Amino acid sequence: MDLNIRIAGAAGQGVETTGDLLVETFAGQAVHCFSTQTYMSRIRGGLNWYDIRIADRELFSGRGKADLLVALNEDTLNWLRADVNDGGLVLFNGADNDGVVAIEFESVAKEVGGSAIMANTVAAGAVVALLGHDFTGLESGLRERFGRKGDEVVDANIACARKGAELVADHVGKLTGPESSDAPTAICSGNEAIGLAAATAGVKFVTSYPMTPSTGVITFLANVADRYGIVVEQAEDEIAAVNMICGATYAGVPAMTTTSGGGFALMVEGLALAGMLELPIYIFLGQRPGPATGLPTRTAQQDLLFAVHAGHGEFPRAVFAPGTPQQCYDLTRHALEIAHEYQTPVILMSDQFLADVRKNCRGLDTSYRPIDRHIVQEPPEDYLRYTVTESGVSPRAIPGSKALVVVDSDEHAEDGHITDHLEVRVRLQDKRMRKLQGLLSDVLPPDWYGPTEAEHVLIAWGSTYGPCREAVDLINASGGSAAMLHFSQVWPLNVDGIRRMLGGRKRITAVECNQTGQFASLLRMVGAVSECELLTRYDGMPFAAEEIARRIAP
Amino acid sequence: MIEKPFFDSDIAWCPGCGNFSILRTLDKTVEEAGIDRKQLVLVSGIGQAAKLPHYTQANVFNGLHGRAVPAAVGIKLANHELEVVITSGDGDMYGEGGNHLLHNIRRNVGVKAFVHNNMVYGLTKGQASPTSEIGFKTKLQVHGVMSLPFNPLAIAIAEQCSFVARSFAGDPKHLQEMMVAALQHKGGFALLDILQPCPTYNRVNSFKWYRDRVRKIGEEHDPYDRQQALDLAFRWGDEIPLGLIYKHDRPTFESQLEVFKKGALVAQYRQ
Repeated sequence: MDLNIRIAGAAGQGVETTGDLLVETFAGQAVHCFSTQTYMSRIRGGLNWYDIRIADRELFSGRGKADLLVALNEDTLNWLRADVNDGGLVLFNGADNDGVVAIEFESVAKEVGGSAIMANTVAAGAVVALLGHDFTGLESGLRERFGRKGDEVVDANIACARKGAELVADHVGKLTGPESSDAPTAICSGNEAIGLAAATAGVKFVTSYPMTPSTGVITFLANVADRYGIVVEQAEDEIAAVNMICGATYAGVPAMTTTSGGGFALMVEGLALAGMLELPIYIFLGQRPGPATGLPTRTAQQDLLFAVHAGHGEFPRAVFAPGTPQQCYDLTRHALEIAHEYQTPVILMSDQFLADVRKNCRGLDTSYRPIDRHIVQEPPEDYLRYTVTESGVSPRAIPGSKALVVVDSDEHAEDGHITDHLEVRVRLQDKRMRKLQGLLSDVLPPDWYGPTEAEHVLIAWGSTYGPCREAVDLINASGGSAAMLHFSQVWPLNVDGIRRMLGGRKRITAVECNQTGQFASLLRMVGAVSECELLTRYDGMPFAAEEIARRIAP
Repeated sequence: MIEKPFFDSDIAWCPGCGNFSILRTLDKTVEEAGIDRKQLVLVSGIGQAAKLPHYTQANVFNGLHGRAVPAAVGIKLANHELEVVITSGDGDMYGEGGNHLLHNIRRNVGVKAFVHNNMVYGLTKGQASPTSEIGFKTKLQVHGVMSLPFNPLAIAIAEQCSFVARSFAGDPKHLQEMMVAALQHKGGFALLDILQPCPTYNRVNSFKWYRDRVRKIGEEHDPYDRQQALDLAFRWGDEIPLGLIYKHDRPTFESQLEVFKKGALVAQYRQ
């Protein structure tokens, strides 16, 4: 049982509201969900859609075609009707139209609920009924959503949903939704997971300039700031944001910023500053297609080589690329720990696809568990911020303690003061770069999915985890022999480990949402692979599993 | 100034540089005001003025060119118990970092900006700065500067900066008064523009040139009078006013956040 529901309309028509309500309803009934959003860079008009895939097993990817299209206007109907599977249904917001289930959502909402604003609820009621789902889930969802607006609003919405259901009664039974299963009832998006992990790990200062698709993280944090004791401030620009978090981490609190490619480009000098000052800053980089403004609301994995190499000069860093909302949560915490252990910047890369993915998540811990900042509480009087050590990690004190803490973007001596001594320069540069050894020893091994003896290995990183994982299942189900090697840490790389996993395979294919195969380039650069095939997509849409399986000809 | 600097290179300023007087006065101010140097953070960007923190004793954040203000604000928000003083030049604060100055005056975080304004670039060897006057010739501006000089005081007043003052490196007594006033100011962002002669690259605006022109503002001036303050800010040429030019009372950024009522963020971390 595997159904894809597509809610589509113009911006401003409530596509997201309806989608969110339905995802929450299905997840609340312990149905496995996986939702994605596709939208244009505009506030009104255009074509946006929200896919909700539901099944009786855990889901990791979206699907190309829909089984139920909810078209909120006529343009949408014309554009997306061809992408409905045989045997699928179309629910159309309008007058009768050939072969569709037609309901005028706004008029029904006005008539039953007293306001056209409840049109989305009418639609949700109709969808739940068409799938033959129990109505109590939607009712409790509506109670939760509108409870604070009072009983009257809740009752009106429930009436609207029931009316929607009633109006599709003739079509019930044509589609069957999956039954409740053991799916977690909590759902989480990639961006929410990052925000929650940062708040619970003890990030105390967050500042960003808004930029799609990263904005959801700082918005989430703004809404939990009072609960967790966080200062959230919108910066005047990305340069300010990165320099502010450099200041805040110097003063002793974990701090982060969120951005996308263009904003990250502005932050690059500040990233190098954190490398030189040895500050544990965390940058969330939500990718979208470039160059320049590119496609602001679409998805891409085009900034990998940029992130790995960003910054003038040479300094150690770790770069993470989670593949699921759960990994967004786990790796945000881990990245903050690594940043503090090694006193160096970390970057966590996601993209529009993963940012907006909503999926059942097994209880992400909401309790405050601050990470170890590795701060020396009582430094000696003769404390030197950059004492040369074997590991390259110097004891870190913060201002306001018993010692003076001096940091300088110029090359500096162990005391932090500016120097032009070339021997000192080499000693301090070597010290900083020795931290790379520690970072390497803590590198997360890539995940293997599929039979160990698989002939064909799909290499994935970041958000292609889900589509590649499902593609492996599809390929193997049709007699192929495939596995996935997924990297959730993309820098530094454990070359020997990768060679061991890839040795002796018949085919290796890097699957990437960019044109040039950036991760494959990185693997070749470090000598982890010699040759590999590329399967790329760079039109701004994410891969779907079926597409990968189809395009990888045996 | 520290008798024997504990870093391993000489002071990088030219003999006769206005920075020496600013450094001595800052040290004297900190000593006489009894400020605990362990609670003092000097923040700078890049430039000759931005090297000042290396020549005294304090916590130091010497960051990127133009970015002293955001770094200082980040420090202050992480630990608002610290005294955070920015000490940087006109290129750093009014040129490269102009946007941060504009927006942090609005934000009104309690950091103190001491701007060494010598109307020329020193570290890059003598190009025009945002405050260089029309016609000022340099190796780069060979036909003379064509852009109007930036007026930091007028801009700050227009934005209702909580504290705006000007002093002169050649008058250490007055400079100390202004530094003390800025440090005692609890109302948020403070801008102290310090006229600083550069004997190497600015032969026009010398100590003598300033001495002939600077005038201390009389007691009759009400710094809360915005029009009067603007009038003073636009005076330049034969007469250059020095003193506390403008004050504006409004809530600081820190005072508006619930989270700070429980203490500094850094202190709350352990809870």
